[in-house]
Amino acid sequence: MGIISLEKADHLYWLGRYTERVFTTLDTFFKYYDTMIDMDDLAYEKYCACISIPNIYKDKDDFINSYAFSAENPDSIYSNMTRALDNAIVLRDELGSATLSYLQMALERIEKASTSRTILYHMQTVLDMLYAFWGCLDDKVVDEESRNIIKVGKYVERLDLYMRLDYSYKAIEKEYTKLLKRMPRVHRGLNMIQMDRLGEIVSMGDAWTEKRSDALDALGKVF
Amino acid sequence: MNELINHTEGINRLLARYGVKFGIYKNGEFHEQLFPFDPIPRVIPKDEGEFLEKGLIQRVDALNRFLADIYGEKKIVADGVIPEDFIFSSKGYLPQCEGIVPPGGIYSHISGIDLVQAKDRTWYILEDNLRIPSGASYPMIARELTRQASPETFKQNKVVDNRNYADLLRETMEYVNTGGINVILTPGRYNAAFFEHSYLAERSGAILAMPQDLFVEDNHVYYSEYQGKKLQVGTIYRRISDEYLDPMCFEADSLIGVPGIMDVYRSGNVALVNAPGNGVADDKGIYYFVPHMIKYYLKEEPILKNAPTYLAFYEEDRKFILENIDHLVVKDVSEAGGYGVIFGSDLSPEKLEELKQTVIREPRRFIAQEVIDFIDLDIMEGDVPVPRKADLRAFVLSGKDTRVWASGLTRFSRNPDSFVVNSSQGGGFKDTWVLSR
Repeated sequence: MGIISLEKADHLYWLGRYTERVFTTLDTFFKYYDTMIDMDDLAYEKYCACISIPNIYKDKDDFINSYAFSAENPDSIYSNMTRALDNAIVLRDELGSATLSYLQMALERIEKASTSRTILYHMQTVLDMLYAFWGCLDDKVVDEESRNIIKVGKYVERLDLYMRLDYSYKAIEKEYTKLLKRMPRVHRGLNMIQMDRLGEIVSMGDAWTEKRSDALDALGKVF
Repeated sequence: MNELINHTEGINRLLARYGVKFGIYKNGEFHEQLFPFDPIPRVIPKDEGEFLEKGLIQRVDALNRFLADIYGEKKIVADGVIPEDFIFSSKGYLPQCEGIVPPGGIYSHISGIDLVQAKDRTWYILEDNLRIPSGASYPMIARELTRQASPETFKQNKVVDNRNYADLLRETMEYVNTGGINVILTPGRYNAAFFEHSYLAERSGAILAMPQDLFVEDNHVYYSEYQGKKLQVGTIYRRISDEYLDPMCFEADSLIGVPGIMDVYRSGNVALVNAPGNGVADDKGIYYFVPHMIKYYLKEEPILKNAPTYLAFYEEDRKFILENIDHLVVKDVSEAGGYGVIFGSDLSPEKLEELKQTVIREPRRFIAQEVIDFIDLDIMEGDVPVPRKADLRAFVLSGKDTRVWASGLTRFSRNPDSFVVNSSQGGGFKDTWVLSR
């Protein structure tokens, strides 16, 4: 539509953040799940510490069920997917029903996976739906400003998670650059002072990890 | 048709995919649920469709004339056609709207007229909904999906395309627009009809606005854009009830209204679709008088019939109601959504007596109607078609002309013993086909 209220801008930004949160945490969940099959039953403890969520889990099975599927667990992938959809539902006039439908289907796939014995097999289709969502967004959403706000949210979240989850410096620099390039395309609501602060830390190369908490703080204040 | 039935599950899956839901509050909690869709459409033959079109246009034109009269000269009261008790004691009559002439002179831009068809194929009007009738979005999207599921069905049956509803809506909004953008004002995500608000915004190109997005300045309404710009609003299709629309004018504690909007409307600087105060014309008591309005304003005989109705307000009718209450349906005029509808045949002798006493005590509050033995429509229950009660909500849009949407929302009861079809009470919906030949 090209006419965005403050509240819609907020929903667009958080739609970007929550869809990316589901995407990256699910992707990471796959790796930890694999580790917990036969290598390290307590791998989830490290995961919880990395992304700063409370370790409320009794064991790996409890982690798998609750973290992936529980509606009562505010940190779960399911809860984050619900939040993504909640933000999207109020944006139907911006996104269009077709784009929105992929998030609805992603949530349904998580629900389906929760009753399956082949969790990863079914959860893979959640990632597929999110890929389809991003593709549909690029293809169908006419308003560039809306797309850019969503993408700023997406890159902020991705960078945040990559920094917490010890992704390589190369990956972090790449995501930082994507965010930096996207920012001038959003016309209001961005804090360039915080972006510069973040840029200084990222420019430290591998030593950036010494200032991880400062970097996360700056990133959280960018929008 | 069989092919369409074979695709029921697939169509319902698509409806879920597109989030075709409605919300209900149970024990103070919001729940969203799918609106069950039945693939067997209601089919209206071409000649019947033309008959309905004429009758509905006539009725809505008369209702618009009535609203202009009531908030203006009140000739119909002065001429003794409608007793003033039915106007000024109506909950829908708003003295704040006295003297306001809305842009284009139109009060009811979108009218939802509920009808049933008796077994002798006579159509009866059950009620008029002139405030914020909902439901058009469901057959709109269902048609899109059923055409995808079974193109062959639509190749074989000549069905008038109903996917123009959003165009009709846009034209209606444009016609009364006072200069500025069109918005659909929703109370928010947790409104029962939020799907419809957002879908109509998407399809009509209007901006979906939350109450906090709009503000009044210099006697105009503006939409607040996130970059700090303000955009003038010319038409507001508001999906917020009258009483919550403007806390400066109606309910002072409303958090979902736009303060000062009524002053702007009164000045003619914004169009409100539908006009506030329309409730006076869709009161169940006023319903009785609609055929009289048609004769009075249009000098025509009503084309469509009311269900035989008795007003407890009139002594003779009240006597009839009290004597025949066990086979009448008694309706509380202040209720809506299928609530306050009592079938005398369902009550115990004690409850019947209680109801009689209430009718005697508060005659203005009740009407009674003959129970129309209306046509059952088949719905699929598993693989088996079963007959169920169904009504039709026809949508009439008034702008430059009065036009009837060639479709409508057919709602059905899933309970074999019930006449109540409302979605809030567990009903489902069907597409409504109007044939082009």
